[in-house]
Amino acid sequence: MLLVLAIPLLLLSAASLVVIGPSRSRYARAQFAAYFVGAAFVSSAVLLIIVTTRGPMTLRLYEPDSLGSLAFPIGFHVDRLSAVMMTLITGVSTIIYCYSTAYMYQDRYFRRYLAMICFTDFVLLCMVSSANLMMLFLFWQLLSYLLYLLAHNHGHAPTLEGAFKTFTLLRVADAAFLAGIVLAYHLYETLEFQDLFARANDRQITFSLWPGWDISGATAIALLLFVGAMGKSAQFPLHLWLPGSLFAPTPVHALLHAGIINAGGFLINRLGPLFGLSSTTLHVAFAVGTLTAILGATMMLVQNDIKKTLGFSTIGQMGYMIMECGLGAFALAVFHLIAHGLFKATVFLNCGNVIHKARLEPHLPPADHQEEEERFSWLTWATGFLTTLFIPLMILLVTHGVLRIPLLESQGSVILLFFIWITSSQAILTLMRLRAVASWKVSAAMLSILSFIVFIYLFAVESFTAFLYPDSAEVAFYFKAAALPSWLFELIVLLTTLLTGLVWSYLYLRAHGRIMRMPSWIDGLQIRLYMLFMHRLYTDEFYRKLGQSMMHTVHRVDKRTLGWSR
Amino acid sequence: MIEAPSASIGLVGAPFVGALLSLACRSKPERLKFCVIMTAVISGGTVVGLAGSLTGPTEGILFSFLLPLTAVVSLMGQPVHPMHRSSSIMTLLFLGLGLGVLTQGGLAGKILTAAIAAFIAVLLHRHHTQLWPISRWGIATYGLGAGAILAAAFADLPLSAIASLLAGAVLLPLVPLHGGYLAALTRLPGNLPSFLSVLLPVIGVHGVDAAIGAVPEGLAGVVAILAVGSALYSAIKALAQSRVQLRLAYGSLSFMSILWWFAASARVTGPSTDAFVGAVALVTSGLLVSWQVVRTRFGDDVDPHSISGLAASMPRYAVLLSLLSLAAIGLPPFGVFAGFIGLLLAPTVSFSIALLCILLAWLSASWYILDLVQHLLFGTHRPDLPHTDLNRAEFASLLLVVLALLVLGILPARLVGSGVPTPTTSETESFAWKK
Repeated sequence: MLLVLAIPLLLLSAASLVVIGPSRSRYARAQFAAYFVGAAFVSSAVLLIIVTTRGPMTLRLYEPDSLGSLAFPIGFHVDRLSAVMMTLITGVSTIIYCYSTAYMYQDRYFRRYLAMICFTDFVLLCMVSSANLMMLFLFWQLLSYLLYLLAHNHGHAPTLEGAFKTFTLLRVADAAFLAGIVLAYHLYETLEFQDLFARANDRQITFSLWPGWDISGATAIALLLFVGAMGKSAQFPLHLWLPGSLFAPTPVHALLHAGIINAGGFLINRLGPLFGLSSTTLHVAFAVGTLTAILGATMMLVQNDIKKTLGFSTIGQMGYMIMECGLGAFALAVFHLIAHGLFKATVFLNCGNVIHKARLEPHLPPADHQEEEERFSWLTWATGFLTTLFIPLMILLVTHGVLRIPLLESQGSVILLFFIWITSSQAILTLMRLRAVASWKVSAAMLSILSFIVFIYLFAVESFTAFLYPDSAEVAFYFKAAALPSWLFELIVLLTTLLTGLVWSYLYLRAHGRIMRMPSWIDGLQIRLYMLFMHRLYTDEFYRKLGQSMMHTVHRVDKRTLGWSR
Repeated sequence: MIEAPSASIGLVGAPFVGALLSLACRSKPERLKFCVIMTAVISGGTVVGLAGSLTGPTEGILFSFLLPLTAVVSLMGQPVHPMHRSSSIMTLLFLGLGLGVLTQGGLAGKILTAAIAAFIAVLLHRHHTQLWPISRWGIATYGLGAGAILAAAFADLPLSAIASLLAGAVLLPLVPLHGGYLAALTRLPGNLPSFLSVLLPVIGVHGVDAAIGAVPEGLAGVVAILAVGSALYSAIKALAQSRVQLRLAYGSLSFMSILWWFAASARVTGPSTDAFVGAVALVTSGLLVSWQVVRTRFGDDVDPHSISGLAASMPRYAVLLSLLSLAAIGLPPFGVFAGFIGLLLAPTVSFSIALLCILLAWLSASWYILDLVQHLLFGTHRPDLPHTDLNRAEFASLLLVVLALLVLGILPARLVGSGVPTPTTSETESFAWKK
């Protein structure tokens, strides 16, 4: 039990060790503190094994009945989800910390930076192991402030606007989160997770904020909490803080993109039983996640800055993760956030070197290979096109028959499969654009590898789902709650299939010099869309205008009233 | 064991005696400052020593601790200057009166409260200038407050309750009777604003505690609506201000209005309201002291937008101001957050449009406080400006505030009792949800 308490305390000790002490020994202390961070990782791994074998562990430092009168109900509940998150956070942090001790060696604020990294990890660990909603919110808010401090270079005047925007957007989400907590407490009289889920399940309460506008209590709470999750996970339209925070050291981004931003996905998983009671919220999550994934990925394609590209890539991936939650695939979302976290941490840690190298050896971007456009192969095109249609069918049959994954009974799984198909087709398209090889061998090798990866991925996901949610009824419950109306579901599948096939054909043919008769407005639209996404849908401008008009109104109100400011 | 009346007299007497002794060293500002600080410390010690002998309500004890602490903090944060002699001595006078209000019940308490209001009106009149004609509103408001307190002392129910509520709205500010509070925090000299920012709400809530349950229900409803409007209005005004003291005054007014909303909706106050008022008042005081630190270095009329990058040159100040701003924004682990959560989770509160407005007022603090602090601490470092980090007294002063806010945040139940207000029948029925 003490291990639960010891892990966050190890990180707090590391932060204290770095900050407190004479300046001359700061490097030695910073290096010694790395052992504390490493010890936290090892302890988390041990805790994961213990929790897996013996079941969840709970440590409460308060009386559950007195929760309402306590502002700081400190308690820890570590189940498999918490243990996995703790291991991920401490693992990534160990790498980032060790990397930072060398990377930030000559920085003036070396100590402050390392201490804040450790303190942020401490906050993250306390958040993911919270025993109740209030404690989770406490650390959730602290994380908002730490993001404001960590993810921006406050000595650089132009970035202050971005820092302010970050805090503003996160606080808006925090306020919604708090409203959700207050509503949950007033409706169910508890903030303890298990009690809250049980009471929400037992009591079918209808809540009315306005006469004639009734809403289920669980839906109202879940929607408010979801807005909180949207803020931290940079979901549209609260995503703007992420690309605005580009001037911090790259290890901070590694931590941000690998750990902090996953908070939204974690929150939905932690409150899964509550979200499972509200199909409306899951559908909203699906819509918001899908929109964010599409916008994030599209905006990523037209950025010309490596950090911005990676930032929008993360937004897209977070959208994907939230979309998975909206489909009821909660475990898959956690699997995704782990995979994405590890990948993005690696990319960001390397990003600084790439920028450094580019500054030392400036050169123009590589020119397009014109010769590729001259070679068009019907064979390659047909292979790619047919296989992108064939792969999903094969996966569907094999996974259903061999792996016994109930894909046919679950809309969510089918949609996920659909996304795998789109991703595969995108990968094939990219490869073919790079090398127009009309070879059966290349095509076969490509397809085999792709199929292998897809199967491994599905197998891993299925195993991870069984690990995280051992009760298959719970998994089925989430999928059922997230199910869309059948007509809508079929319409989405049909339209996306048509759209993907058309776009695939168009892009491939065009990349290889074939002319397709397209209405002129499509070309014009393409340019407009390019400009629109390059300017990030003008959302920055929209928020700026919104802020300006708000302040304009504020000043008008101020001047109209008998003022002390005059 | 000392009897309660004797203990109360002891509490009131110590600051008065200190004020008289301080007059003797009026010609030596440094010695005077030392003398008044020591008197405030002794008063605090007296409160600690006599706490067991006092028979007043729990919140009286908490506030009795807060007043000497604030006196010490505000006096220590003030630079030594001949012009600040009167304000230092007046602080002790107000401290004595405040402790008297908190420990004396009945007529004596009311007379002492009226005396405080009258003294502030006189001080405002004395420092009135033609440049700020609007501060006459402050004088009128405190005059009205003093009159209302005296009326409450001699009238019968429900008139006395209404008069008490009126006086409460002057002391614990509520729009449209907020003029006095704003004037006191912006126009009075020396450390008085930072001390009065705690004294006024503390004695105000002391009066509201007694009156809110006795006023007619319709009037309580009007007050609740007024409080929601006041919270939003003050937040908007705070956003628009460029003068720091005024922004802080409006910010605290917004938070005090939240308390009014709670008290009027629930028709009862409790430990969470006291913790909330104490924390909001203390953080306002702390921020006023930290602004005084800037004024001491850069001049009285300094524009906050002309200063930036203090985090680099004044790291100790930056850390303490950051912590204070965290508390003022309503972030954990400080008392404002604890008190606010205590109010929101009270069984007497229902989830409604009004509550969403209150959350909006709470949220807006993140903008006007952070905007101010960010301008001061971050951005381009200005080497052309004189930068001297906190001296010992200033450091101790701000550290005391931060620690007190931390204690109020972590242990609110220990300090003000763990009871929660219970709803009356009418409030329980007004819950807008149904099974």
